[in-house]
Amino acid sequence: MLSDGGFWIVQILNSLQLAMLLFLLSVGLTVIFGLMNFVNLAHGSLYAAGALIGYSVSMWTGSVWWAYLLAPVAVMALGWALYGLVIDRMRKAGPMNQVLVTFGLIFVLMDVQRYIWGTDQVGVQNAPFSGSIEILGQIYPEYRLFIIAVGLGVFALLYLSLEYTRLGAEVRAGVDDAETASCLGVNVERTFLIVFLIGCALAGLAGAVALPAFSAEAGMGIAILIPTLVVVVVGGLGSLTGALAGSLLIATTLTFGQVFLPKFAGILMYALLVVILLVRPQGLFPARS
Amino acid sequence: MTGRATFRHLFAAATFIALGVYWTQAGYFGHEILAEIAVFAILAMSLDLIAGYAGLVSLGHAALFGTGAYLFAFFSVVLGWPVGLSMVAATAATGMIALVVGSVVTRVHGIFFIMITLAIGEMGHEFFFKNRTLGGDDGFAGIERLDLTWIGLDLNTPATFSMTLIVVALVIYLALNRLIASPFGAVLHGLHDNTTRMRALGLPVRRYQTSAFALSGTIAAFAGTLTAQHTMFISPKLLHWTLSGEVLVMVILGGLGTLAGPVVGAATLVFLRHELSDMTQYWGFWLGLFLVLIVMGGRNGIIGWAEWAWRKLPGGNRGAPADENTQGEEKGAADAAR
Repeated sequence: MLSDGGFWIVQILNSLQLAMLLFLLSVGLTVIFGLMNFVNLAHGSLYAAGALIGYSVSMWTGSVWWAYLLAPVAVMALGWALYGLVIDRMRKAGPMNQVLVTFGLIFVLMDVQRYIWGTDQVGVQNAPFSGSIEILGQIYPEYRLFIIAVGLGVFALLYLSLEYTRLGAEVRAGVDDAETASCLGVNVERTFLIVFLIGCALAGLAGAVALPAFSAEAGMGIAILIPTLVVVVVGGLGSLTGALAGSLLIATTLTFGQVFLPKFAGILMYALLVVILLVRPQGLFPARS
Repeated sequence: MTGRATFRHLFAAATFIALGVYWTQAGYFGHEILAEIAVFAILAMSLDLIAGYAGLVSLGHAALFGTGAYLFAFFSVVLGWPVGLSMVAATAATGMIALVVGSVVTRVHGIFFIMITLAIGEMGHEFFFKNRTLGGDDGFAGIERLDLTWIGLDLNTPATFSMTLIVVALVIYLALNRLIASPFGAVLHGLHDNTTRMRALGLPVRRYQTSAFALSGTIAAFAGTLTAQHTMFISPKLLHWTLSGEVLVMVILGGLGTLAGPVVGAATLVFLRHELSDMTQYWGFWLGLFLVLIVMGGRNGIIGWAEWAWRKLPGGNRGAPADENTQGEEKGAADAAR
């Protein structure tokens, strides 16, 4: 098994695919974290919402492509509602109250999802790239390659916008030093809202993209939340590179841990987090130097 | 200080009396609820000790609770030790674990403290989830209750068992109140309000935080040995971070840093869960909404609202809890600044 090149390629692709999903989720979370020190535990519930809304959209329209387009928009709208009702008011309330309020939102959103979509798993059949390709004698589903491509595409897009657009510069300034940025005329509040909404849309996109591969159910957000939080802390708050590096590291740990040490795969991830927090609490690639 | 303390003692007394009255009326199911309330009241008070007084908000508290339950089951069922000895051994062993964990986690602060306790707690969950000797994800059954027939208590009778647990919770409430009033309690208060100033005063800050964490973990583990005897069945769910979150909800719901609050919070939440889950399958929705509103309401849970209402009552100037309330708000501001 170990000397088989196909085995390694498949595992590496699996890691990459999981890493890209984690990246889509963690990037929004990490920038909000870095920009405003806001902890949003309900971020995983937005991922679940993306998958479930994507399911309904693809049922109505008969095409998963519409789901990729509309689920992020719908989740962004949901995020906007949450922002207006709850998050904006909790901005200065300290990490503990934010953790509690967003913990409450997890329960609310999960039951709303159970009310609308029921408790069963739902999936779609007519996804694009449903075929398989052969890599060194191993059959591999094309759709997972598509997930990897989406993740890399989003990373490239975000990287370019962060480096070369005015909004990107404002975000970087805000993460680096919100007060000074504000003094220099950057509307940090507005930047924060835009970044928050983009983060919500990306969580919705992650859900819609994951739907054909993993199917969807209410409560899937809780399972993905912890690895996402681990990615954010390991990668370093507020950092795009950190989110990518953290996602790759955690996805590799989880995937290969599952193969070689099935008993300890989960423990490995947490152990990694504890070590990072103790040795390098600012994370691998912190946005603030 | 006296005014607020008295008010809270009265609040706790009223809760315990209400539980006692309910006990006289309760049937089999009522006694099950009462036993659950007592266990969670103890667990919530232990969390309040670190979260409310020392300012250490842990999302891994359930892991210590669950470890206590699992070690108790391991000692009493797998090794066949006497039940009483198993309780002591499991509580002490988990307390030692909490001491080690506490000495590590107190190195980080704020949201990182929340994350590191979450991670270490989940490691514990994962360990028992995969451990086949103790049933893994199927859970573990066949646990026996303590034999107290030699003093005339048959704990296998639901009414006796629930009353015993309520009395134990009351004793722990009184003991923790004594602790909070002691110099040690004063240091914890100080750590919550201003860690830097306490360090400047020359106090070994981390040693105090670690001791508080270890003590809190020991009490949580003791609660774990009680829940194992209550349900006579344990599962890795006891260690999951969402249970830590729920216990934190009880503390917040009742009133953080009040000791009486967690008792009120545990009673309210356990009771509502049983009542509401009969009426609606969407109990989580109401729980979540309730939590959001309580935290956004800006007062310190049920106790905070009660103190506010007491102050606002027409007729007479009840100044006593009033000046305390401003202190509470300052505390909130200090939290926010962290």
